[in-house]
Amino acid sequence: MGKPEPTGIKAWIFTTDHKKIAVLYLVTSLVFFVVGLLLAIIMRTKLLVPDREFLISNELYNVFFTIHGAAMVLFWMIPVLLGFFANYLIPLMIGAHDVAFPRVNALSYWMYVGACLIAVLGLVLPGRLDIGWTGYPPYSVTGPANTALYVFAVHLLGASSISGAVNFITTIITLRAPGMTWGRLNLTVWGIFGSFIIQLIGVPVLAAAVTLLLFDKYLGTHFYDTNGGNPLLYQHLFWFYAHPAVYVVALPVFGIVSDIVSTFARKRIFGYTSMVIAMMIITVLGFEVWVHHLYVAGTLNWSRIVFMWGTILIGVPTGIKVFNWLATLHKGSIDLKTPMLYALGFIALFTIGGITGIANGLVGFDIHVHDTHWVVAHFHYVLALSMSMLVLGGIYYWFPKMTGKMYDEKLGQLGFWLTLVGALIAFFPHFMMGVDGIPRRYAILPAEYTGMIRISSLFSYIAIAGFFITIWNYIKSARSGAPAPANPWNSLSLEWTIPSPPPFYNFEKIPVITSDPYEYGKPEGHGEEKGAVGGHAAHHH
Amino acid sequence: MYKKLLTTIIMLMALIVPATMVFGGERVADPAAGWDKHYHFFGVVGFLIFVIVFVPLLYFVFKYRRTSENHTGAYIEGNTGLEIMWTAIPVVIIVLLGVQTWALFNEYRSVPANAHEVKVEAYQYGFKMVSPEGIETDGEFTVPAGPVKLNMTSRDVIHDFAVPAFRVREDTVPGRWTYMWFNASKEGTYQVYCAELCGPGHSLMLAKLNVVSKAQYAKWVEENKMKAQTMTPVERGEKLAKQCIGCHSLDGSPAAGPTLKGLFNSDTKLADGSVVKTDVAFLKKKIKAPKNNLVDGYPPMMPPYSFTDDELNAVVEYIKSLK
Repeated sequence: MGKPEPTGIKAWIFTTDHKKIAVLYLVTSLVFFVVGLLLAIIMRTKLLVPDREFLISNELYNVFFTIHGAAMVLFWMIPVLLGFFANYLIPLMIGAHDVAFPRVNALSYWMYVGACLIAVLGLVLPGRLDIGWTGYPPYSVTGPANTALYVFAVHLLGASSISGAVNFITTIITLRAPGMTWGRLNLTVWGIFGSFIIQLIGVPVLAAAVTLLLFDKYLGTHFYDTNGGNPLLYQHLFWFYAHPAVYVVALPVFGIVSDIVSTFARKRIFGYTSMVIAMMIITVLGFEVWVHHLYVAGTLNWSRIVFMWGTILIGVPTGIKVFNWLATLHKGSIDLKTPMLYALGFIALFTIGGITGIANGLVGFDIHVHDTHWVVAHFHYVLALSMSMLVLGGIYYWFPKMTGKMYDEKLGQLGFWLTLVGALIAFFPHFMMGVDGIPRRYAILPAEYTGMIRISSLFSYIAIAGFFITIWNYIKSARSGAPAPANPWNSLSLEWTIPSPPPFYNFEKIPVITSDPYEYGKPEGHGEEKGAVGGHAAHHH
Repeated sequence: MYKKLLTTIIMLMALIVPATMVFGGERVADPAAGWDKHYHFFGVVGFLIFVIVFVPLLYFVFKYRRTSENHTGAYIEGNTGLEIMWTAIPVVIIVLLGVQTWALFNEYRSVPANAHEVKVEAYQYGFKMVSPEGIETDGEFTVPAGPVKLNMTSRDVIHDFAVPAFRVREDTVPGRWTYMWFNASKEGTYQVYCAELCGPGHSLMLAKLNVVSKAQYAKWVEENKMKAQTMTPVERGEKLAKQCIGCHSLDGSPAAGPTLKGLFNSDTKLADGSVVKTDVAFLKKKIKAPKNNLVDGYPPMMPPYSFTDDELNAVVEYIKSLK
């Protein structure tokens, strides 16, 4: 129905189809994931020898961790979740033909590509960005870095995020199929909804913060310098968005874990309502924590206490989610296919990162470990490794949906186990270095830690090898995988009720929804008093 | 439902209030010792949470495996009692940890009245310290055993004064004064790190902290007062140039900037292609306004230094001496 589907290369460049835009996001963000991993390999290798000139100079080391951080957070994790997963899944999960504003959607993607190109320039042009992905003034203003590139990349990316947020919030509110009530949404949809609310509120503040940086550096204004300005102002503005950005990544991940666990345990997600409430609490509470990045920055003592309570209390809704996942596994029918392995691996790594994150949030504890390797270890467990792994698992889960082909299960499991073992051990020595108070972002570590860092680097190579095998599996299986059945996991979720890959306009006729996506093993007649008439939309086909 | 909620709130209060008194009332004389205690307490709690998550995770995965293609899990929508339990218990744990850390934090931020007060000025890439007697030292500090308070600022960008041995750190911010204190309980030499990214020399921005007895400290003060009066310009320049050696080597080895060895009166190619003699006039110009005199092959990263004329002469004399 509708206009005919375009073909050829133009079909990709000029597309406004949410599924094609999603694939574009996926490919671009995976490229940046690989860039981030390659930079990690070089930095890890430099640290093997405690010598200032080994492999790369100190200056280049600083450039590399700047681009590594920016690539991983801004160009991989956020775009893959809010670009790829949101685009591909939202219309399919709510029963819509496309998003509310398909052309704005295409614009979002191309602005993201522009930001990517600027980031690459920041890596290769003279005046390379060595300011950390945080870009704190005065160093970013007085130092040699070409801060304009940083600012413009953030601007373009921000414009992309804001238009994406407007688009998807509108889509979720207005384009749900008849009968798709808020209580029947996949938790993935809820997670993405929360993320876009954070984007809409937070990104403009970040854009303002870096704009003032630009003015200070090139127009001689004094927002962040000592002639009437205040360097700490930038840190407040930056972290007002940049800490909630962690939850921008986390919320969709929580949703995807819930969907995968429910499907592969073939059991209703435990405590759906409490899952949704927990996500919304995190969305709101996420804005009450940012000063924990300024615990030792010379901020007012009482403000550190206030924001500590926000920070550590966020552990409560997060804990609720973990326990609900465990309860979902209880009495389930668990099938350990690759996506499920990734979901379970995520829970394991995330728990380690979460517990150590509570410690980090404790203001008295942090006064010794702030900006040490403890922090490096914590966020690599809680964010970098666990969530990257879950993203890879999510790609496996919907791989048959996107391509109509099955991925290679053996290769998938091999990649998973390499990454899990590597990830579990690689960052553990960093906790020990953190407790000893060794600062992060050091190109040369004290000689007595050489042994520890070598173990750490070795296992990081193993984890990265697993990542590469996984990416290779996607490429190989997309080209020559075995044909997949329409619903290989026997999922009850709406996106699996249409053919794979989905037709151009998704649904021939907008479905009428009569049940929710988690009703595995629901006894006949159960819940009918609530007005449900049994049978999922699936059965219309 | 309301009854359950009410019971939970009452139970929470019953647990939290006494715990607050136990943990909040405790005073520690030394934040470093308090930190270690706090860390051990957290270690036990953290390990317990870890076990509570991992044991069921592994057990369920092994126990509830899919037995046949059509096998399905039990149909359970949720359980309000359980939800309340795993909301309330974490709240109690969080409040316990929070109250304990709050008390510790108060110790960290309340400076004892008898603290030995010194001034620290951080710069790219080093720390300058001024003792209460007015003695300036660079890169190596001497303090008497007992509580020490640091009033800190920065000359250029944000740095951080971290002393892991005493479990404490605080940023130094240009244009602002920040403070921290620690109890230098044991004599010895301790490592100081910069813990805030400040440029290519960040990982070289180190210092030593010597904690000595009160008698030794008095001796150190006397010696240094004498030295300040009898110092030659080269010696004075050497002291001032401590802040240069993060980027400039003294032995000819390569670094972020050109080596200072043999620099004086050599021919140097500038970024605009011209070649200049690095005489006294050029060195002074370069130190005051580095960006106007960029040297070929090096990034424009040197910050300007605002030495007095005397200090500038001393630094140049010192560079002259490095043959």
